Amino acid sequence: MTTPVVELRDVTKEFHGNFAIRNVTFALHPGEIHSLLGENGAGKSTLTKMIAGVHAPTSGTVVYLGKEVHFASPQEALEAGVAMVFQETSLVPSLTVAQNLELGNEKPLNRLRGLYISAQQFLQSLSFDVDPTALVSTLGAAKKQMVEIARAVRHNARVIIFDEPTATLTPEEKYHFFELVNRLKAKGVSIIFISHALEEALQVSDRITILRDGELVVTDEVSAFDRDSIVRHMVGRTLSHAIHGEGTPRRARKAGTRVLSAQNLSMGSMVRNTSFSVFAGQVTGVFGLIGSGRTETFKIIAGVLKRDFFHGGEVRLNGKPVRYRVPRPAVRDGIIYVTEDRKLEGFFETKSIAQNIYSGLIGADLNKHAVVRYSEMAELAKTWTEKLNVKAIDTDSKVIELSGGNQQKVVLAKALVQKPKLIILDEPTRGVDVGAIAEIHAVINDLAESGLPVVMISSYLPEILSLSDRILVSRLGRVVEEFSIEEASEEKIMYAAVH
Amino acid sequence: MKQSTKRTMSIGALSQEKIVFAITVAMFLIFAVFLNGFLGANNLLALLRSVSVLGILGLGMLIVVLGRGIDLSMVANMAISVAWTIQLVGNGMGLGPALAIGFAFALTMSLICGLLVAYAEISAIFATLAMSSFIYGFGRANLITGTDVVYLPASFGWASQIGQGRLAGIPIPILLAVILAVLVYLFLKLSKHGWNTYNIGDNATAARITGISVRPTIVLQYMLSGTAAFVAGLITATAVQSMNTRIVNSNMIYDVILIVVLGGVSLSGGRGTVRNVIVGTLLIGVLVNGMTIMDIQYTIQNVIKSIILLMAVIADSVLNPRDEQTGQQGDI
Repeated sequence: MTTPVVELRDVTKEFHGNFAIRNVTFALHPGEIHSLLGENGAGKSTLTKMIAGVHAPTSGTVVYLGKEVHFASPQEALEAGVAMVFQETSLVPSLTVAQNLELGNEKPLNRLRGLYISAQQFLQSLSFDVDPTALVSTLGAAKKQMVEIARAVRHNARVIIFDEPTATLTPEEKYHFFELVNRLKAKGVSIIFISHALEEALQVSDRITILRDGELVVTDEVSAFDRDSIVRHMVGRTLSHAIHGEGTPRRARKAGTRVLSAQNLSMGSMVRNTSFSVFAGQVTGVFGLIGSGRTETFKIIAGVLKRDFFHGGEVRLNGKPVRYRVPRPAVRDGIIYVTEDRKLEGFFETKSIAQNIYSGLIGADLNKHAVVRYSEMAELAKTWTEKLNVKAIDTDSKVIELSGGNQQKVVLAKALVQKPKLIILDEPTRGVDVGAIAEIHAVINDLAESGLPVVMISSYLPEILSLSDRILVSRLGRVVEEFSIEEASEEKIMYAAVH
Repeated sequence: MKQSTKRTMSIGALSQEKIVFAITVAMFLIFAVFLNGFLGANNLLALLRSVSVLGILGLGMLIVVLGRGIDLSMVANMAISVAWTIQLVGNGMGLGPALAIGFAFALTMSLICGLLVAYAEISAIFATLAMSSFIYGFGRANLITGTDVVYLPASFGWASQIGQGRLAGIPIPILLAVILAVLVYLFLKLSKHGWNTYNIGDNATAARITGISVRPTIVLQYMLSGTAAFVAGLITATAVQSMNTRIVNSNMIYDVILIVVLGGVSLSGGRGTVRNVIVGTLLIGVLVNGMTIMDIQYTIQNVIKSIILLMAVIADSVLNPRDEQTGQQGDI
């Protein structure tokens, strides 16, 4: 057995007390393609970022070429020969391909012609069909990937990490991409390949490692796996079953009236001809991997995404067709969308808890008086912080100073004061501590019990299974499968979600 | 949790408004002791009167800046709308209709600014800078005939009292500035649109999702700033019996930004009150009045003012840091 190029020995990575990676040991051999699989949040990106110098491990060691290393930055790792090609490309869009290849290595004076000639020769040596004089902003996703890869090769990378490289590619581009990966492999480059696409992983990999909840589940030769066993390894969690009280069979709440129905909804390449319904008095869980279009679908319904990108289809609210260009009319009709990214689009950071909650009331025109009443605000804030158990010194505390769980509760309160008739919760417990998760789950159950239609988008299967009455599985921009809670299982859902 | 209270308090102790207010008081005391005639009632009224126009413009600017915008067209709007009003009266039009037309012009121009920023999504600094040039150029070419300076005709009647008259011994410009300050205070504190202005300046995306009509509110902000510009223009013109349109090419607009930023209003939006503008206005008033009594050259006064502006902007970025990137990370 050859010595590994990269070895992680018993590494752990903690973010604010949460384990993203826990005691993982991992080895990458020379000239192999090693796939890293797992659910969203399983720790795949974190693991590779420790190799590429983006994160430093909390404990454990990273060994590269037999020596222990501590890369301070991705740049340092790149110079040593470890390159990471990110999901979002790290190229400078306003520069040409040749300039991007040279990025970080520029001489004090560059002659463009010389730059283009050497870039041309270099790209040809890789047989990449990319024009070195083209601006990166004009390139398609696959060509951008090629430039990224060329940059990695130019730095004589011995290890290249691809984070979801094929998510944005067309089938033909994928074919070229894998051809290239195999050529790199033939040159002795080791490749780590993070993907949700199981078939691809099975096709190209030499070995496969599966992570779950930050822990290593299994590493083995590709021949030891098939699609079913991979899915089983990805989801088969025993620990979380206990936490979420699963295993006790649950009966679905009875469906009320059909509140929302979408017919052939489309938007660009993100939402493709999707159709589904949401009923009153139930939690409709929506599961899908990154890129499945689940957030976009519901953002269209709530008017958050602009109509410029709206490509047809029909949405009916209580049987009446609706089409919102901005969120305001949707909010007034009672469709409330609670964002997955509370810092970016959820709360007002310079404002207090009370002001944030009251802003919800004002946004929905539900405040009782024509003018802002500070007594009304204080009363509202008191009611809702007690109801949702928001922990803060008082309601005048700034939201930005609260913990993630309390911030989420404030955002939830801001939505609930708007008297929703349909509430869409996008990742309601992302970045929320365990205690607050249980409280938020209780709120979601109460909402459904009270007869409200609740849509809960989540990429965490135990959450979906413990709260939903119906489960919609989204894949490649459409709802592809629907389960009732009685018939659903983690395996079935995951099987439908992967492609 | 305890720690966070402490942090808020320490920021409170350091706030820019308090620093500027302390400097103002200190300068006031120093001038009062060392400068002859500074403390006289007439000089103090003259001091307030001299900054009342600036203060009114600052109130308009405040509303726009709170919504994370900026209005560089205020001075042009003020000069041209009022110069046209005077011209119309001079041409024989009645005072009422002329005032209405001038005000309508100011509102239309600021409406266009608002539409450009809110609907065409052009950044406020470019949209209003371009509109400033447009208003001045259009006004000089098509509305105002003759020289740069339009003189007040005798038929301007009661309106000429706006800049010159006194009520109970207090000059009307000061009274107008105080009334407008109270109105803007009430607008920001009690009206929904004022509330929404703060939220839009804080986080426009969140405001939109919350159901706030972001775009119309932004347009309203610019129209209020246009209103402030027209009132300020009337005071300016009636005080000196003329409107000199070359004021557009002066650095007055920077003085307006100066008093707003100086008082502690954050250019990144969502933070600031009328009180901040008052404090900034008073500092400039005391400073300029003192320097004038000391007979410091106008050009040197500008140097001193600009240094103060720079220090205020630096203090703003230190005290109100705004890291846009923190929101975009978070992929574990």
